[in-house]
Amino acid sequence: MPEVLPELDPVVHGKLRLALLSLLVGVGEADFTWLRDKTGSTDGNLGAQMLKLEEAGYVAMQKRFSGRKPQTLYRMTPAGRKALATYVASLKRLLNGAL
Amino acid sequence: MTDFDTTNPPRRDDLVQRIELMEAMIAEGRCTTMRYGWIFLMWGLLYYAAIGWQMYLPAGKFAWPVLMVLGVVIIQIWRWRALRSGRNHESPRSRSIGAVWGTVGCAFFLYMGAAAASHHIQSPAVNATVMFFLGLAHAISAVILRWRVQGAVAAIWFAGGMAMFFAPYPASLIIFLVASFFGMVLFGLYTMMLERQRAASLVQHHA
Repeated sequence: MPEVLPELDPVVHGKLRLALLSLLVGVGEADFTWLRDKTGSTDGNLGAQMLKLEEAGYVAMQKRFSGRKPQTLYRMTPAGRKALATYVASLKRLLNGAL
Repeated sequence: MTDFDTTNPPRRDDLVQRIELMEAMIAEGRCTTMRYGWIFLMWGLLYYAAIGWQMYLPAGKFAWPVLMVLGVVIIQIWRWRALRSGRNHESPRSRSIGAVWGTVGCAFFLYMGAAAASHHIQSPAVNATVMFFLGLAHAISAVILRWRVQGAVAAIWFAGGMAMFFAPYPASLIIFLVASFFGMVLFGLYTMMLERQRAASLVQHHA
C-alpha cells in the first residue's frame, strides 16, 4: 500500500508566515516593527499575514504604548507552537523518502 | 514571498528552502546580543582610554569615573533614540540580557565607587572581582543565547580574574589589557561583523 503524503498546513507553509512563526518561536514575543525589519516585508503585507496567523489562532496580538508610541506586540500561542512542530514533522517525513 | 500552492504537490527544493528559512529566522531571533556589538567595542576602547589617561595625562584619578559615565551616557542616548524611532524591540530574551547587563553595570559602579572611596581600588582582589563581574555577565548571556563564542569570552574574563590574584603590577595591568582586547574589542568587532553578514544574507534572501 503506497504511503500517504503528510499534509502541510497551508497557513504555516506560506514563506512569510513561516518566517514570522520561526522568529516568534525563537523570541517568544515581538513587536510589529521588529518583525517587519527582520523579514524585510512591507507594512501592508506583514499586517495581512499576521492577521491570517491570528485568525488561525497561531499568534495573539496585543496593543500597548511604549512611552508615547503605540506598539503592536505579537506572541506565539500554544496552538502556533503545536502547528509549527507538526509542520516540521511533516516536512521531515516528506524529505525522508516520501518525496 | 509566495503562498502555498495547494493544487501541486510540494517540491523537494521548495521544502529544503523552507527548512533553511526556518533555521535562518530562528537564529536571527536568538542572536539578540549581536545587535549590540558596538557596545562591547566601545567599552573595550574606553577601558584602554581610561588606562592611557590615568597613566599619561593630568588628573588621572578622574579617568575611570569620567569615561565610565561617558559610556553610560552614550548608551542611554542610543536607547533613547531607538525608543523614539520605534526600533526598541524587546523580547523576553532581550529583556533578560538587558537585565543581566543593567544589573551587572549597576553593581560594577557601586562596587568601584566604594572601592575608590575606601582607597582599595589598587587591590588585585578588586580588579579580579571586576573581571569576574564581566565574565559573569558574558556567561549568563551565553547561556541565554546558547552562544559558545560568548561562553569563550566569559572564560577569558574568568581566567583573567583568577590570574589577577597571582600577578603583581604591572603583570596585572597586562592581563586586564589582554582580557579587554579579546573580551571586549575583538568580541565587539566579531559581533558587528556577524551582524553585517546576517543583514546582507537577509537582503539576499528576500531579494
